[in-house]
Amino acid sequence: MKNDTGFLGTILAFPMNVWKSIFRNPIPSSDLGRSQTTFSNVFLHIHPVKTHSNSLRPAYTLGLGVMALSLFLILTVSGILLMFYYVPATTQAYDRMLDLNGTVAFGTLIRNMHRWSAHGMVAIALLHLCRVFYTGSYKAPREFNWVVGVILLLLTLGASFTGYLLPWDQLAFWAVTVGTAIAGYAPVFGEQIRFLLLGDRVVGQEALIRFYVLHVAVIPAMITLFVAVHFWRIRKDGGLSRPADADLPESQPRYPDAIAGKLEGLAPRVKTEKAKTFGVMGVVKGPFNKVGNTPDNTVFSWPNLFIAELFVFAVTLLVILVISMTFNAPLEAPANPTSPPNPSKAPWYFLGLQEMVSYSAFWGGVGVPTIMVIALILLPYFDRGQNGVGVWFSRHRLLAVIIFTTLLVINLIFVIIGTFFRGPNWGFIIPWEQPAAHGSATAGH
Amino acid sequence: MANPIDQAMSQDTRVSRRQALTLTSIAALLGANAVVWFSNLLFFKPRVTYGEPSRFRLGKPDAFPLGTRLPLGSQRVTIIRNEAGVAAISNTCTHLGCVVATTEIGFDCPCHGSRFDAEGTVLGGPAPRPLPWFKVSLSPNGELEVDTATPVPAGTFLKV
Repeated sequence: MKNDTGFLGTILAFPMNVWKSIFRNPIPSSDLGRSQTTFSNVFLHIHPVKTHSNSLRPAYTLGLGVMALSLFLILTVSGILLMFYYVPATTQAYDRMLDLNGTVAFGTLIRNMHRWSAHGMVAIALLHLCRVFYTGSYKAPREFNWVVGVILLLLTLGASFTGYLLPWDQLAFWAVTVGTAIAGYAPVFGEQIRFLLLGDRVVGQEALIRFYVLHVAVIPAMITLFVAVHFWRIRKDGGLSRPADADLPESQPRYPDAIAGKLEGLAPRVKTEKAKTFGVMGVVKGPFNKVGNTPDNTVFSWPNLFIAELFVFAVTLLVILVISMTFNAPLEAPANPTSPPNPSKAPWYFLGLQEMVSYSAFWGGVGVPTIMVIALILLPYFDRGQNGVGVWFSRHRLLAVIIFTTLLVINLIFVIIGTFFRGPNWGFIIPWEQPAAHGSATAGH
Repeated sequence: MANPIDQAMSQDTRVSRRQALTLTSIAALLGANAVVWFSNLLFFKPRVTYGEPSRFRLGKPDAFPLGTRLPLGSQRVTIIRNEAGVAAISNTCTHLGCVVATTEIGFDCPCHGSRFDAEGTVLGGPAPRPLPWFKVSLSPNGELEVDTATPVPAGTFLKV
């Protein structure tokens, strides 16, 4: 035992001892250190020690998954801050919104960040779904992770839907009145589902407290759970998808840019020290990332992957901050159960639904959306071909790409019509022509 | 399952103690699960609600002169008075539950453009059904009473 350095020595060594007790490894300077840093940290070991260089190509992933997670983190933090001032009561909720905007320091900013991040999370999750589709990344063995992704998208929409009742303004009241009335068109149990959602026959105090609990506890907990499964499955399914020939050794580079360390926004690629070999402790079954003893196209996750993710998070936060300092989250007149605004419009991502609902409540609100969700979930179990995985818009998947794009464009057209071409009484208007003066305030935004 | 005892068991038609316990345990777990689901469903269905009551009084009939066509905002009905008597027509659009605007000649829904005539019959738009009529009665003290939980056929007036 050579610890016998005396009291003074203990005091002098104290800061370093505390540091070392928290962080097992120093800032790594060798490949072994880079491995250990990732492997032994509870937060970092969500990633494998080495990452395929294809996963780090910004042009391949567009960073959309990390962006969605970043927005979820921003939403969680800003949402918890808002909870300190919000009261889920019909008599107080709207006044609390005014307080946030008028008296609470940074209240407007936090509310803006929460609102715009919510819009952003829906948009980014949808784009992420498109990325995964167009690169064929849902194909075996990643079928189940695609399903988890669809569930996460639905939960995101649910979080958004429950969230916009909370300000208790006109949009809140009437969008939820319409949304829950759509649930009433579900076959057989429609009316019962609607009653359970609202806790009453109309939107009121019971609905507000129910939506509040769903919004701040139930749905975020479910999103956290499914995000954990989503990330876990990425690793267990062999990392992000990549072309079949992406595992060729470095002598036949598939991506010259990645090999030359020219990745945009990334740290220079750390070369594997070929002389050293590292083993994965324990028995690993199924596809996994090899650790450094054979030539492959992987790079160390520390620092390459972590810096890339930090970069995406920082950019996301910056964009949300700039938007939140520039544009205020809308707040309409307080909820008035006796008179809906004309026209009564939901947020943009539900306007396609609202447009379809204006033709037929059952088919627009229940039938078509249910068919679309079921089709999305079943897609990877019926589209079994392995050609074109890991490549954007692969020619081998021409038919699938055309069908998906067509459906996407149809949905987009419905959203655009609902957003820009609908005026009072949901009548058709030409947006660039001045609409005739109308008594009720418009609600589009 | 190469265990000789297991093999002997599988030939035996009697249920072993282990199998019996396993089966009863599974049954108990499934049963408990069903009870939990059912009780939670009951828990989430309120027995008492705190919103607008479905029955309310309007005052004496002479407060509504002939030709009255009066929308009551918070109760979501329009009161009609003509030669045939008094009636109450729902103001909740049968499409998606918005409150319709009462006009001289009918009802207009601002949400998805459904239109109804003066009796609540659908004239256009996505509404699948006409606006329901509600039961109007005279309470013992001579006041009009509307019951929005009891629909009546269109054209049912209370003689006053």
